[in-house]
Amino acid sequence: METVSELASRLTGASRRKSWDVYNSFEWPAALDASLWYMPPELISLYGTPAYDALDEPQRRRLSLFDLGNFFSLVLQGERPLVQGLVHRMYLKSSAREVTEYLHHFVDEENKHMVMFGEFCNRYVGKVYPEKKIALGREYSKGEEEVAFFCKVMVVEELGDYYNVMIDRDERVDPLVREVNRVHHRDEARHLAFGRVYLAELADRHMSQWSGDALAGFRSWLAEYLRSSWGDYYNPAAYRDAGLADSYELRQMALAHPACAAHRQRASDKLVTYFVKTGLLAEKPAL
Amino acid sequence: MEESEVRAKLRGWIAKHAKKPLTADFNDATPVLEQGFLSSLDVVEFVLYIESLRGADVDADAIEPEAFTNIDSLYSAFFFAS
Repeated sequence: METVSELASRLTGASRRKSWDVYNSFEWPAALDASLWYMPPELISLYGTPAYDALDEPQRRRLSLFDLGNFFSLVLQGERPLVQGLVHRMYLKSSAREVTEYLHHFVDEENKHMVMFGEFCNRYVGKVYPEKKIALGREYSKGEEEVAFFCKVMVVEELGDYYNVMIDRDERVDPLVREVNRVHHRDEARHLAFGRVYLAELADRHMSQWSGDALAGFRSWLAEYLRSSWGDYYNPAAYRDAGLADSYELRQMALAHPACAAHRQRASDKLVTYFVKTGLLAEKPAL
Repeated sequence: MEESEVRAKLRGWIAKHAKKPLTADFNDATPVLEQGFLSSLDVVEFVLYIESLRGADVDADAIEPEAFTNIDSLYSAFFFAS
């Protein structure tokens, strides 16, 4: 079986072969074609609800743009602490040389993604939606902070990748939007391959040392973190920008609606299955 | 909206989302995060609720953990000047 160091070396080679220039990879038109979709309708956060059914098609397409802007923004906002955390882990005594070498590419590619998403959002949505989180210090068991960090990495990247793949393969969607999602997916496939192996090794190394209470507490946090991350996909500000009234109530309605819950379960299945397989979760949580 | 109504709504939201029942001595000075009624993961949802009460966005760059200490600090941070 391939070790983390061997995998990191292989991914470093792939990153170098597939290196790209974010500043010269895209033609940014002055405006997007309003007759196209920016996200497959089935991925729109209100899809399957009475509120969505009440919209006419131009309103649905407009909502797809602001939902896409929210999606790009939440991935960008998730990549900011990810880059901080990866840089922090470079050149540690506990990080193999091959791992540090790959982290340089990981950080480089995440930086390009932030440039790409920021450019798109500022040009066509008029903003990058801010995140509204606060970080509170807390006590961790040995290795727990490290495991939690890479769990967060997996959550932002796996959920994002589900959307990237679905958007890229949909011919109803604006070609530029598909291209941005395709480019992101190409890099993320390597990041996810690394994250899955690295996190499984971390979990294997640390979790057996935790007390029963600590393990239960961690699993409870992870399930809650997943639910909270899904909440970011239902942004009242994006609904307001799309011209919808009662935006906060729309979010609450969608979070509670069975059609939206079924979508979240479906889109999370690969990630949650991985978490259960590695013991990071005891069972699949309700999302 | 009157101050008393805002405080009652904040208390109602905390009661609905609390990890444990509010104690009999819970009041506007009770620390909600420190005493484990809410977690940091609840903050995003709480901020969105606060925005819906204010009818205006909260400046995300200016969100300080201290604002979420208790109902008094929440009122001062997000409603007092508005």
